Amino acid sequence: VSADHADRKLRARFSRRLLLLGGLQAAAFGALAWRLRQLQILESSEYRLLADENRLSVQLRAPTRGAIYDRFGKRLATNRENLRVILIPSFARDLEATLDAVAKVVRIPDAQRERVLRIARRQSPSIPIVVAEGLNWRQFALLNVLAPELPGVQTDTSAIRVYAESQPMAHVLGYVGLADKTEIKEDPVLRLPGFRLGKAGVEKGFDRNLRGRPGNVQYEVDVHGRIVRELGGTPSQAGTPLVLSIDHALQAKAMERIAEHRRAAVVAMDARTGEVLIMASTPTYDPNDITYRPTLEVWQELAKTPDNPLLNRTIAGQYPPGSTYKMIPALAGLAEGVIDPKERIVCPGGYSLGRAHFRCWKRGGHGAMDLHNALKQSCDVYFYETARRLGIERMAQTALKFGFGATYDCGLAGQLPGVVPTAAWKRRALGQPWYGGETVIAGIGQGYVLATPLQLAVMTARIATGRAIVPRFTIAAQDELPVEPQPLDVDPEHLQLVRNGMVAVVNEGGGTATGSALGLPGVLMAGKTGTSQVRSRSRRGPERRSNAWDAQPHALFVAYAPVDTPRYAVSCIVEHGGGGSRAAAPIVRDIMLQLLERDPVGRPAFVAAPPATLAASIERSGADR
Amino acid sequence: MRMLFAAPAKPPPPSLLAKLAGFNWTLLILVTTLAGIGVAALYSVSGGDLQPWASKHVVRFCFGLGLLFIIALSEMRWWMHAAFPFYLVALVLLATVPFVGVESGGAKRWLGFGDQSFQPSELMKLALILALARYYQWLPPQKVSHPLWLLPPLIMVALPVGLALQQPDLGTAALFGVVGAGMLLLAGVSLVYFIAAIAGVIAALPVFWERLHDYQRERILTLFDPERDPLGSGYHIIQSKIAVGSGGLTGKGFMQGTQAQLDFLPEKHTDFIFTLVAEEMGFIGAVTLLTLYLCTLILITYMALRCRSVFARLVAAGVGLSLFAYVFINVAMVIGLIPVVGLPLPLLSYGGTAMLTTLVALGFVLNAHIHCTLRVRPEENGLFWPRRRRTPAA
Repeated sequence: VSADHADRKLRARFSRRLLLLGGLQAAAFGALAWRLRQLQILESSEYRLLADENRLSVQLRAPTRGAIYDRFGKRLATNRENLRVILIPSFARDLEATLDAVAKVVRIPDAQRERVLRIARRQSPSIPIVVAEGLNWRQFALLNVLAPELPGVQTDTSAIRVYAESQPMAHVLGYVGLADKTEIKEDPVLRLPGFRLGKAGVEKGFDRNLRGRPGNVQYEVDVHGRIVRELGGTPSQAGTPLVLSIDHALQAKAMERIAEHRRAAVVAMDARTGEVLIMASTPTYDPNDITYRPTLEVWQELAKTPDNPLLNRTIAGQYPPGSTYKMIPALAGLAEGVIDPKERIVCPGGYSLGRAHFRCWKRGGHGAMDLHNALKQSCDVYFYETARRLGIERMAQTALKFGFGATYDCGLAGQLPGVVPTAAWKRRALGQPWYGGETVIAGIGQGYVLATPLQLAVMTARIATGRAIVPRFTIAAQDELPVEPQPLDVDPEHLQLVRNGMVAVVNEGGGTATGSALGLPGVLMAGKTGTSQVRSRSRRGPERRSNAWDAQPHALFVAYAPVDTPRYAVSCIVEHGGGGSRAAAPIVRDIMLQLLERDPVGRPAFVAAPPATLAASIERSGADR
Repeated sequence: MRMLFAAPAKPPPPSLLAKLAGFNWTLLILVTTLAGIGVAALYSVSGGDLQPWASKHVVRFCFGLGLLFIIALSEMRWWMHAAFPFYLVALVLLATVPFVGVESGGAKRWLGFGDQSFQPSELMKLALILALARYYQWLPPQKVSHPLWLLPPLIMVALPVGLALQQPDLGTAALFGVVGAGMLLLAGVSLVYFIAAIAGVIAALPVFWERLHDYQRERILTLFDPERDPLGSGYHIIQSKIAVGSGGLTGKGFMQGTQAQLDFLPEKHTDFIFTLVAEEMGFIGAVTLLTLYLCTLILITYMALRCRSVFARLVAAGVGLSLFAYVFINVAMVIGLIPVVGLPLPLLSYGGTAMLTTLVALGFVLNAHIHCTLRVRPEENGLFWPRRRRTPAA
């Protein structure tokens, strides 16, 4: 009985305790539900954000760069499909192994491999890196198959910049390249792997327009970064196509014409609008070599070339303009009244100022010279005297008025301003006082005076039209606001006197460039020769013979035509070409003849279609790849 | 008065039909529903495919259900007598794991047989319940709280706990401890011991901390601050919490859970399957699932309360405790309430041994339920074998 009693007592205790445990279990489940409520109802929105952060990957979509055409629609710079393989390090399990796997399909040079690993170490691992580009379709397809097994590896297509018949246009077009450290902060699109921006020429100057606006695309990605699906986004907006004022056919001919010289440059522009038609500089290079294969060898080769082919001499070659500068003291002298067009200054073949003596290029002297003859025969003494009477400041003011000493906001990067010397300039630049003799030689465009061929062409156009012509690389009529160049603050009579002198240079007996007259009935060219002494290395090297190539003076010539209704202004320099009349004037004549014959500004210019869709504006790579 | 006429002989065993009549079908429905949710979840995990998990889950469930019926309808006495040998076998197997076991994820928990493998610790969970129930069935009620008679059950619990810690398998060790302590409590052991034990555990905590493996310590530390190691040991908890939290009230929809489908969620077909349900079915789905478990537990408690024999009620209550411990530890772990210890969610997680053990255990509950009116007569109550029947007086 007592056992039975104990048994019952034990069962009651069991029941009590089991119910207690049951209550505890229910309470524990209540705690779980409470926690779930906290996570799923109270804090749900935070966790939803975190989940989206996990699964969503927004990538910028690169815009297609605008194409570049010449004025008649010849394609100069276009885009071609570029098949690439890219790597997102944050998703790759083992960077080295992944690269090894990719290298089985595409050759990855050691240098490139180093570069990828270096970049992966340096930047955020979520930024994609281009491993290889320019793949062929077979490699591309193979990598597409392999990619799902290689986390972080993606294939994509981008556009490669291609320059057609690029050599004559290299300096104008420039090239594109990867953004450097300072540029990359400016626009997030530059962080896109392999995205290139203009580095030189109009590619740089018009980069903002050509670049376009990036779109974006939202992907759903899994934990390995593999794209599961696309969730939409905004399309990128292709860059605006650029129609250059350059006439490619004439440019090519000009390049051909000056190619016989080691270093030479020619600029031709529409004298009324400033549209640059020809901008040729020799030697040149192929921008296609630089844009996508900036290999060390290419750069080393370019750097080793003594004539620096990368230099655009028309805008970055600064030369003493020599006698082509003489219109400036002439116009300044007339404006200031220090010379009278009828006044004759006797040229005995030299000019003395204090103890210094300056020679005229004609040893025997020109005799009594008025302004007209002084220009025609390029008498140095006349302009020594004019310059002395003017003083350097007043001459500098006129020079600035005609476009010297300045760069132009015309969308061409790399312009140098040259030098229009003044006493203040010399003190600033050299820390030395100004000497009277330096004013005298500045009168014939020597000494400290430096100008670029573009500036000389601008000066010529301004003399020819009397307006403040500014060079431009787009078609004036197509711009939204074609600005009519303002008339210069110069007495038209004075201009006419100078023009007459320039006409005489080419067309009157005794002129320095009569040999380069156009020979067309009823169409005359006005010009001015220049032969600038190179105060150069040759003087310092005693053993250097005076007939060495680089002891020769630079040959220059500026011209415009037709004389009565100026349309074209041309300038030309042949470095160490000897005399202006011998080396430069014939080139200008030939180019001028071609300009007049083809008359590019008289023909309707090409109008580019608005930016097309991304796919359409990339040329499909054909079977040749 | 009837006692005088009725021979105190053994009553005839109830027929199979009678047993089936006593079968609790509600429990079967609950269990099948839970397993069905598991199949759906596994179907979702594999991105809408019965392979590789869902179909196997079904097969295992069906096989386990067969075992459940066999055990439920079998004679309870057999199991009572088999309890200690069964415990010894399980103990030996558990002890051999460190020597011949298959290592997986830094711990040796598996025994391999050809291409099959199973966890002896799962076997031990059952064996421990049966053995403890058997012990208290045998022990006279007066001796239950006697310190000397408390020693054998403590050793029975301590041995598997020690072996599990050796593997190391913190989750299973905790489970053995919880079930063992719970059964001792239900057997009627004086509360004084429990209070003393809790005090002792609190005092021993620092020592225990010292003896933990680094990864276990790290797990506990990252529980309180998962950001300690967001890509390492904290990753599981962080991603699991993101998945659960982002599910919201109604969930992202079946097969629409981004965390699970895009692989951000680790171990989602095994230990973290609750997270998947919570992500895709939301708060409503998660609470419904918990409610189903709670219903099962209430039902088991009810069945345990009805049992007359100590063995039957302790087995039923022990299984209930074990099921509760599994569900609670697993869910609390994936929602970041306790450290990640690596326990599956019964009936839902993919895994053969766990599925079979759970169903077999529930088979014992049903067995106890069917035999709830059975009383164990003293002559059947030998510790290892039935006492010899005394010949009735002529």
